[in-house]
Amino acid sequence: MLIEQVDPHGHVVLRHRFAAAGTECTVGRDLGCDIVVDDEHAAPRHALLVLQEDGRVNVRDLGTKNGTRVDGKRVPADTGAILERGEVIVGRTRLRIRTRHVPLGPERVFRRDFLTRHRTLLAVTGVAACMAFGAFLQWLDAPSSLPASVTKGALVAFGIIALWTAGWTLMAKLNRGSWNVRVHAAIGAIAAAFCAWGYWVAGLVAFAAQWSFLVRIGIAVVVSTAFVALYGHLREATHYGRRVSLALAGAVTLVIGVIVWVATIGVDESDVNRVALGPDVRLGARRVVPNRDTADYLTEVDALRLAAGRERQKSLLNAPLADAED
Amino acid sequence: MVKSGLLIAALWLCGFASVAAAQATEKPAEPVAESPPEPAPEKQAPDAEADAVDEDALDAAAVEADIVAQELSDEAKDRLDAARESVVQIRGFFEGSASSAFHGSGFAVDDGRRIVTNYHVVAQAVLFPRQYRLEYLASDGRTGPLQVLAIDVRNDLAIVAAAELELPPLRLRSEIPAQGERAWSIGYPLNLGLTITEGVANGLVENSIEQRIHYTGAINGGMSGGPALDRRGHVYGVNVSVVTGRQLVGFVVPAKHIAPLLARAKGPLVESLSAEQLRQRVTAQVLAYEAEVLEAAPEADGTQKVRGFTLPTKLSRHLECSTFDERSPHVRMRVETVSCQMPSRVLAQPGVYVAGLSVQHRIAQSTGLHPLQFERQVNDLAAGPRRAGAAPHVAPFACRDALVSLDGFDARVSTCVRQYRLFAGLYDFDVTVVGIDDPAEALVSRLTLQGVSFDIGRRTMERYLGALQWTR
Repeated sequence: MLIEQVDPHGHVVLRHRFAAAGTECTVGRDLGCDIVVDDEHAAPRHALLVLQEDGRVNVRDLGTKNGTRVDGKRVPADTGAILERGEVIVGRTRLRIRTRHVPLGPERVFRRDFLTRHRTLLAVTGVAACMAFGAFLQWLDAPSSLPASVTKGALVAFGIIALWTAGWTLMAKLNRGSWNVRVHAAIGAIAAAFCAWGYWVAGLVAFAAQWSFLVRIGIAVVVSTAFVALYGHLREATHYGRRVSLALAGAVTLVIGVIVWVATIGVDESDVNRVALGPDVRLGARRVVPNRDTADYLTEVDALRLAAGRERQKSLLNAPLADAED
Repeated sequence: MVKSGLLIAALWLCGFASVAAAQATEKPAEPVAESPPEPAPEKQAPDAEADAVDEDALDAAAVEADIVAQELSDEAKDRLDAARESVVQIRGFFEGSASSAFHGSGFAVDDGRRIVTNYHVVAQAVLFPRQYRLEYLASDGRTGPLQVLAIDVRNDLAIVAAAELELPPLRLRSEIPAQGERAWSIGYPLNLGLTITEGVANGLVENSIEQRIHYTGAINGGMSGGPALDRRGHVYGVNVSVVTGRQLVGFVVPAKHIAPLLARAKGPLVESLSAEQLRQRVTAQVLAYEAEVLEAAPEADGTQKVRGFTLPTKLSRHLECSTFDERSPHVRMRVETVSCQMPSRVLAQPGVYVAGLSVQHRIAQSTGLHPLQFERQVNDLAAGPRRAGAAPHVAPFACRDALVSLDGFDARVSTCVRQYRLFAGLYDFDVTVVGIDDPAEALVSRLTLQGVSFDIGRRTMERYLGALQWTR
């Protein structure tokens, strides 16, 4: 029987091992106990653990007010509980118990996933791609002082990634004791670069194929990427399991998504001066769809009479005319 | 360019008391239908007159210049005295309120029972009959309710009457005064009391679509609808608007438009029609005007050739164009602009101007920009500037864009249409054409129609797209 006393953070602070069948182990504040706990919620003599002949452990409560719990359930005063492995709680102290009945798997082979293995390459590539995008945006504006603007763009991109990475590495250091700078830089930078350059490429495709809805797909992709990145960061920087990480990443993405949606699309809808010109033009670019001729296009424009009428109805419904009948 | 700019900057003179305090006094080039400043604290009594000067006391041998000056100012006094009884202040009140919401002037004509004023003075009461009521204030202090009998939106005129009000009518003169003829304008500027201003008539405004007489003399908010008098004291027109931020450039509607309107002024208009019908009537008058004006064929070929592009400029005969080399912030790109617009528009409702048509062609040429950089500039040109429109007046745009084969080049054409909230028959069109063939040269062209019928908008669009051409 192996008994490990665990602190609130899950770290083992004491370890006891008993081998002889029939060994009795008392737990409590009394210095005469076999396991002395410094816990004001525990009784001087609180519980008794007996290693049975069959290798299992019998846990008994010694008539305390707070009782003893095994895996969350209170131990019956008369019979006690028998277990092969589990967590015994005395007062607020957790004791992890393992017996020889617990089957042991083969040793876990050292395995480093793709991200960890290539973290240097990925981090450098991601950061470089982000900086390149920042510089590219500046260059596109054809500024009068090109070197200064381009440098500024690249540095701003670097600064954002650096801040983001710093936050996550700090969290990793606090939770797991290691900084993991390259891993977090890789996750953040690759995700950001993917979104930024993806947005640019999506613009090209949107024009070539005349797909206005590609913008919406683009938003969905950005949101998904953010979700994946957040999940990655959480897994690397905290002790949270898969489910908690997924839930947290999902919740954060949802909240950010709703805020962005309300701030942009939600408000713009009612703007009477908002014109949708379509995807940005690409001059001399290849196009997938054939052109319309003027007559066809004008027929399409006829549909705008109805559409404009619908907008007016909506507008009158939202904000009736000053003298409208109540 | 300057000329059309001036007219568009014309300030319609109806004074809006409610907004007066909130708005700054100086609003150059803002076509708002109001903005008189706060009345000066040392405001004079409405009927205060200058002390009469005893002419006989003057020596006949006095300096000639003095005599001339004396005669001039006396003439103003005579004009005012003769017209005083005929001129009223027209005030609008919001629901049961005792303080006025807006005010203008008016004068008695015909049998003295009917009063002429501007449409824009009474527009709120016509369009929102359940919210606004009109009252007159005569020079002798009498007040009473007014009814609207007839409106002429395109000439900005209205006939109103009160049940028991009979005033000495002013005589109308239908000829346009000769340029340089002495003239006077009477009204209630800025709610300061009855006032006469002296100036000269400068003949018809050359580029105005509807006839307007250019009056060089002071006209201020609140004088709208007041009479413009000639030497004999006859009314040659009605004060209507002024150019803000300039000096003494006022406009007067010729009196010859009053007679046809009087003939139509049979009975109370507002009482006999529902609000919806009144709005339809205003819309119908606007549409009749547009049918004449917006599709008036130009005398010659209405296009202009710039850098191989054939650009429709005179979509209507009345459009006035200017061509200039627009300074671009980028030295490696040049933009040549041809811009055309209507010299005047029609006020349908205070703050809402309709029957507007403008077209702007910009030919952008890269002189060393990378194609991607040039593309960015072209997209920026197409997106800006922000469209004008206020949420109380118009609904949001509905848009449709496509790549269209035009004559000699391919273009992305984006059309946006929105309907007016108050006037269901009126639409705004915003058509943007961007040439997409050449990575170093692009046409960015925009057609804008304000407050037109859908059919006129579509037909104008068809003529516009049909006329665009590029021969390389």
